[in-house]
Amino acid sequence: MSNELALSDVKICDFMWVMAGPASTRILADYGATVVRIESPTRIDTARTLQPYLDNKLGPDSSGLFANCNAGKFGISLDLGNPAARAVVLDLVRWADVVTESFSPKAMRAWGFDYESLSKVKPGLIMLSSCLMGQSGPLAKIAGFGNMAAAIAGFHNLTGWPDRAPAGPFGAYTDYVSPRFTAMAILAALDHRRRTGQGQYIDQSQAECAIHFLGPAILDYTINGRIGGRIGNSDAALAPHGVYPAAGDDQWVAIVCRDDDDWRRLCTAMKNDELARDSRYASAAGRLAHRDAIDSSIAAWSRAHERETIEALLQSHGVPAHQVQSSTDAYRDPQLKHRGHFVALDHPTLGKFTVEGPRAKLSRTPASVRRSAPSLGQDNQHVLENILGYDEERISELVASGALG
Amino acid sequence: MSMLSPYRVLDLTTERGLLCGQMLGDMGADVIKVEPPGGCAARSIGPFYKDAPHPDRSLYWWAYNRNKRAVTLDIERDRGRELLRMLVERADFFIESYNPGYLAERGLAFTDLATINPALIYVSITPFGQDGPKAAYADSDLIIMAAAGPLILAGDADRPPVRLGVPQAYLHASADAAVAALAAHHERMRSGLGQHVDVAAQQSVAMATQSYILAAPLGSPEVRRMSGGIKFGPLDIPLIWPASDGYVAMTFLFGTALGVFTARLMHFLCEQGFCDEATRDKDWIAYGEQLFSGAEPLAEFERVKEIVRTFTRSHTKNELLELAVERGFLITPVADIAEVVESSQFASRGYFQNVAHPELDESFRYPGPFAKFGATPIEYRRRPPLVGEHNSEIYRGELGLSEREFAGLSRAGII
Repeated sequence: MSNELALSDVKICDFMWVMAGPASTRILADYGATVVRIESPTRIDTARTLQPYLDNKLGPDSSGLFANCNAGKFGISLDLGNPAARAVVLDLVRWADVVTESFSPKAMRAWGFDYESLSKVKPGLIMLSSCLMGQSGPLAKIAGFGNMAAAIAGFHNLTGWPDRAPAGPFGAYTDYVSPRFTAMAILAALDHRRRTGQGQYIDQSQAECAIHFLGPAILDYTINGRIGGRIGNSDAALAPHGVYPAAGDDQWVAIVCRDDDDWRRLCTAMKNDELARDSRYASAAGRLAHRDAIDSSIAAWSRAHERETIEALLQSHGVPAHQVQSSTDAYRDPQLKHRGHFVALDHPTLGKFTVEGPRAKLSRTPASVRRSAPSLGQDNQHVLENILGYDEERISELVASGALG
Repeated sequence: MSMLSPYRVLDLTTERGLLCGQMLGDMGADVIKVEPPGGCAARSIGPFYKDAPHPDRSLYWWAYNRNKRAVTLDIERDRGRELLRMLVERADFFIESYNPGYLAERGLAFTDLATINPALIYVSITPFGQDGPKAAYADSDLIIMAAAGPLILAGDADRPPVRLGVPQAYLHASADAAVAALAAHHERMRSGLGQHVDVAAQQSVAMATQSYILAAPLGSPEVRRMSGGIKFGPLDIPLIWPASDGYVAMTFLFGTALGVFTARLMHFLCEQGFCDEATRDKDWIAYGEQLFSGAEPLAEFERVKEIVRTFTRSHTKNELLELAVERGFLITPVADIAEVVESSQFASRGYFQNVAHPELDESFRYPGPFAKFGATPIEYRRRPPLVGEHNSEIYRGELGLSEREFAGLSRAGII
């Protein structure tokens, strides 16, 4: 029975940087694709400067975000402005099935690495460009990060309390959403090419991908004319539905009643006969109407208990509940441990470097994280010699040209 | 020809997994939504067309079931399961999101269906995965957000952590599932074999922590929630700033990569008279370290933020956006849903698409294709299906049931 990694025959020449792009090729690397990422020796990848850092120390390779997005890939440093780098890029394109990039539009064209040029070098090439707003339109060239795309795509205005300014969501939200669409687009385009021989160019806007995660709210506007606002943790149809205080400082537990049965079980678990008997609360509509009073009763109870105790007790009654987990909690979480969510990789200079494991389990050809993220130029020799087949003389010339930084 | 047109997907997902099949359908796969008689429970999730609950008019349903056909089928009964197995023989993908064990108890586990169709890719989307100490946990969007890490990172410091107002957890899981299904499919083209894909929403949603879920194992401090930003040790880092008519998202950060943008902004602010040259000329690359080391007092950072706030407050969201485009600042407006839909950017790319709903004699604007494919553009071929809309087409037309058999199944409430 075959057990080679699912994408062991897929080769990607990856110009992507920062978060959204690299997170997508990380997924493909986990499934077995050979990903060679090209990194500028002069313009540092922003991700290398972002928290959290290993041992809380900033260093060229210590960003946990960079390590998480680039594990499993090979890295070559190439100064794309150096004429000697051009031939290397074109050889990588000839080697690759797919070219990916996430610069702002026009950058690839300026280097002569647009799809039209590259597909002449490699007929049947698949190339994907991913940027905040897409390759066209008045905002195509806006510089920025996923927090900005999330704001303009509507996420921020929907996150927080109705009586307060928008609170979130946390970080570069479209960078969490779009990588899946990127990876899917590439895999579908590969299948199409396998069947037809036809390659293609894919123009992906991270904001346009992410808007699919707001689908019902978009339709509520285009169809009903309703402009959704901030609703805290409440739900339009369910109550109770919230985050409640637990014993201790800033400790929280999420509790949800999906239906009347959940409500009865919650009352039983809290040993609160008064709430259970209150006929006003028997239906979801009644509970929604008296949401604040119910929330106060639950909070008065939850405040007196440890969050783990609440989670275990309510779950034993079949009521959805979970402590609100920090990184420390998640690292101890028995379920994430069981799933192998945290993977400690060997790093050539930094010892053990923990990243997140693959997010899906394939029963016969499981994904795996095969190596830690490359340091700048770590794999220059491997890529030039083993992947591109350059001889020592050619490699020395490249080094002398300064194209490798 | 579209990218995945040769392949058939059976979509048995509940409200947890609908996006997965839609993503495959958008790329051309023939997706058949298999629902219990009367329709999937997700059809009762609001909002609704004109706010009137109706199983064919749930906007939640509409958002995630485009490009699918739909049949009804009762998997609680033998005859229903027989029909399902007939469909499985001709399917390439099988997607489900029942609680772990539910389909196995009905003889419909991966191992059962693989005996009928060894090439089948069987995708399971669950809250916590197929096994493990929390596999049987009761769940919902908020529960997964709490368990996976993003919830604690967002919200006002003096209130409970807060989730995104539109449920997200199962969308992350569904999207990961679609990618995994296609990776397994790619492998199948070599081996001829299917496999089981097991996706846990908890793991998928951890993606939304921006790798901060790694803080503990890396030995880095936890960050704390702060309205519109991040509390990092002693620093309050705002990411949402006030405009004269609302708010903007602005990346005002430091370090080798981001400090350059901050320096650019501060030069402009000085030019416009918002700050003096000494403030302009701070070392914005090293500024973060200076704050952490105490070389720059926190009170001075507060003064700087007030200067920047005075600037953002003196402009509208659109003025700030125009400045960002012209001058390369890291600013975008915090848009409400109407502003998103009416945006000239999305209009210029033809993003929002009209989808005709002949059953209502109307057409509605939907979020458009998630990417522009040069050779195989995504097409919205089918509006979301009505309950059992394709029963006859599929059971009679494709499985070849006789009119009598079909009528019998209908009468018995199996379809």
